[in-house]
Amino acid sequence: MRLSETNKAWLLLLPAFLFLLLPLYGLLSALWSSLTVNGAFSLSVYQQLMERDAFWGSLFYSLRIAIIATLLSLGFGLVFTRTFTHYLNKTSGKLAAWIPMLFPHFVWGYLVLLLFQQSGFISYMAFQIGIIESREAFPILTNDKNGFGMIITYMGKEIPFVILMLLPIYAQQNSQYHDLVRTLGGNRWHRFKDAEWPWVYPVLLETGVILFSFIFSAYEIPYLLGATFPEMISILTYDWFYAGDWSERPLAFAAMIFTSVIIGIIAWIGFSLMNRKRWLLTKGSR
Amino acid sequence: MKKSGLVGFIVFIFLLSACSQGQSQQSNPNDLSWDEIKQQADGTTVNIHMWGGDEGINQYMDEWVAPRLKEQYNITLERVPMDTQNILQKLQSEKQAGKKDGTIDIVWVNGENFKNAKENGLLYGPFRDQLPNFNDYYDQDSLAFQYDFGTPTEGYEAPWGKVQFVFQYDSNKISNPPKSFDELQSWINENPGKFTYPNPDDFSGNAFLRQLLYATVDDPKEIIEEPFSNEYATKKAEPMWEYLRTIKPDLWRNGEHYPASLTELDRLYSQGDVWMTMGYNEARAEHLIEQGVFPESTRSFVMEPGSLGNTHFLAIPFNSSNKSGAMAAINFLLSPDAQYKKLEPTYWGDNTPISVDKLPEEQQKKFESLDRGETVLSTERLENSFLPEADSGYVEWIKENWKDEIIRNQ
Repeated sequence: MRLSETNKAWLLLLPAFLFLLLPLYGLLSALWSSLTVNGAFSLSVYQQLMERDAFWGSLFYSLRIAIIATLLSLGFGLVFTRTFTHYLNKTSGKLAAWIPMLFPHFVWGYLVLLLFQQSGFISYMAFQIGIIESREAFPILTNDKNGFGMIITYMGKEIPFVILMLLPIYAQQNSQYHDLVRTLGGNRWHRFKDAEWPWVYPVLLETGVILFSFIFSAYEIPYLLGATFPEMISILTYDWFYAGDWSERPLAFAAMIFTSVIIGIIAWIGFSLMNRKRWLLTKGSR
Repeated sequence: MKKSGLVGFIVFIFLLSACSQGQSQQSNPNDLSWDEIKQQADGTTVNIHMWGGDEGINQYMDEWVAPRLKEQYNITLERVPMDTQNILQKLQSEKQAGKKDGTIDIVWVNGENFKNAKENGLLYGPFRDQLPNFNDYYDQDSLAFQYDFGTPTEGYEAPWGKVQFVFQYDSNKISNPPKSFDELQSWINENPGKFTYPNPDDFSGNAFLRQLLYATVDDPKEIIEEPFSNEYATKKAEPMWEYLRTIKPDLWRNGEHYPASLTELDRLYSQGDVWMTMGYNEARAEHLIEQGVFPESTRSFVMEPGSLGNTHFLAIPFNSSNKSGAMAAINFLLSPDAQYKKLEPTYWGDNTPISVDKLPEEQQKKFESLDRGETVLSTERLENSFLPEADSGYVEWIKENWKDEIIRNQ
């Protein structure tokens, strides 16, 4: 029996589906737990959730942190890759750029804490050199309300990832496009926009979706570097989930379903934008 | 080929579900005599799941308890470090999935975790009154064993140790530690930025607030003896919130951020950022000094009206596949020898719930002459300041309200 192309594709997807069974089961049982009250179908948990100011506060806070951290990582990653493509192509360059990827987020978070906290290394140096008069004068950069510590940690970890994703494109880019734009009188901006952006854009979008989803819902960095208030949605959910009498568990499930839906929507928008782009590219027009 | 893939998939699903089958072969130890239980436990493996965040405790279990349990009962003890909440979560999932043959034989619990476990039917019991060591050496009528944070224990857990809440300070920096919460308030005022407490989502931070609650009502009995209700708590806690709001501007980081865990507070203390720390274990400074975390000059103190204390317990999950082994192991952990070793500062330094006057004379002397270390307050001082825990409802209530009262909208 010969397999049709579609069947082959499904067969190839089988391992992925098997692997996805576990998280999928988790997601469904969370959905189930948030939609049933005493065994009967009810939306009351979601209603309760909507009425909680704490939920909206941390949802928007998490969105803000995730968006800022993602955009900064993408931006710096792009500039870095463009500027240093030549060095990054060497093994030593790659190693230097990718070393942060060896550490888990938690370790990187601790490093940021040791460097940036008020009694940390940087404040110590600043005090010794005489830039600040006392160590208390050092600005609060970790566990701060603006999430500086978290954003810095994520940037440190994610910029190398962005480089990893972008480097193949820059390593293999066709310099003739640059020449073409130049011949036609384009300046630097035109060269970037016409000779690089069409190839870079889909990858940036894809990477951005991955980073956003991760930062939006991760727990360890907010636990280590977040402020007591406002808190990231993952911290709030964790507290609800483990609240002593388990009565707030349905709320935790509902909040997580909510974040999953947001991630889903963003991923969907991202992929549909990307597909359109790809489709236009194959048609040879933009 | 597609078909075989499908078959493989179905087999895989069956394998997954087959894991949850299987029957426990042991008979219920409830109907057995102690000798029969011991016989059944002989040659088995007991899995104890317990919080593993303290090296001293871990070493006590692995280096002292495990070899002796093997020798005396021929039981192999496997210790699995896991947070208590996660253990209960695992049991809850197993219960939902109908798994009868569990992998956990003993859990270390108390307070709200015990309440949760008991109310959700996650525990086996009653078993405590079958343990010879409990019957011989412990005070059967003690309220500390009858109630665990206001929840009746009803024999579902056996007392393993007891701890008291104490504060630690650096005697090089502070010569006279405060004697009451009022004095603490003036101290904080005079030394801005040198005190903070962990976020009440943390176990120790929550205990600090409960202790403060006792201190800000007229008499701690009002909290200990009255049953918990939201209205009553709201009424009684107003002075406590007032106190916290008053000290807030003088706390570390102006009270805008609080350490998320006791470890974080300990770190601040060891770096000298704050000058006091605290914890629910009167002997904790001993091994923290030994590990070099705390300065050698660390000492501990308690304040008026007293120091919060509680008992911690050992329990057996509903689906333990080796209940007899678990009982034998718990009986050993309750024995005078095991309790004495636990009390020594070498490993853990945890206080014992045993009734010393029920012991043979020789052992009584041993217990009484033990030196627990320089940072530990005297037994007399601790006993005189002992205050029992109130209803565990307060734990949750404080968690829920602290943020609204102190952090948000302020």
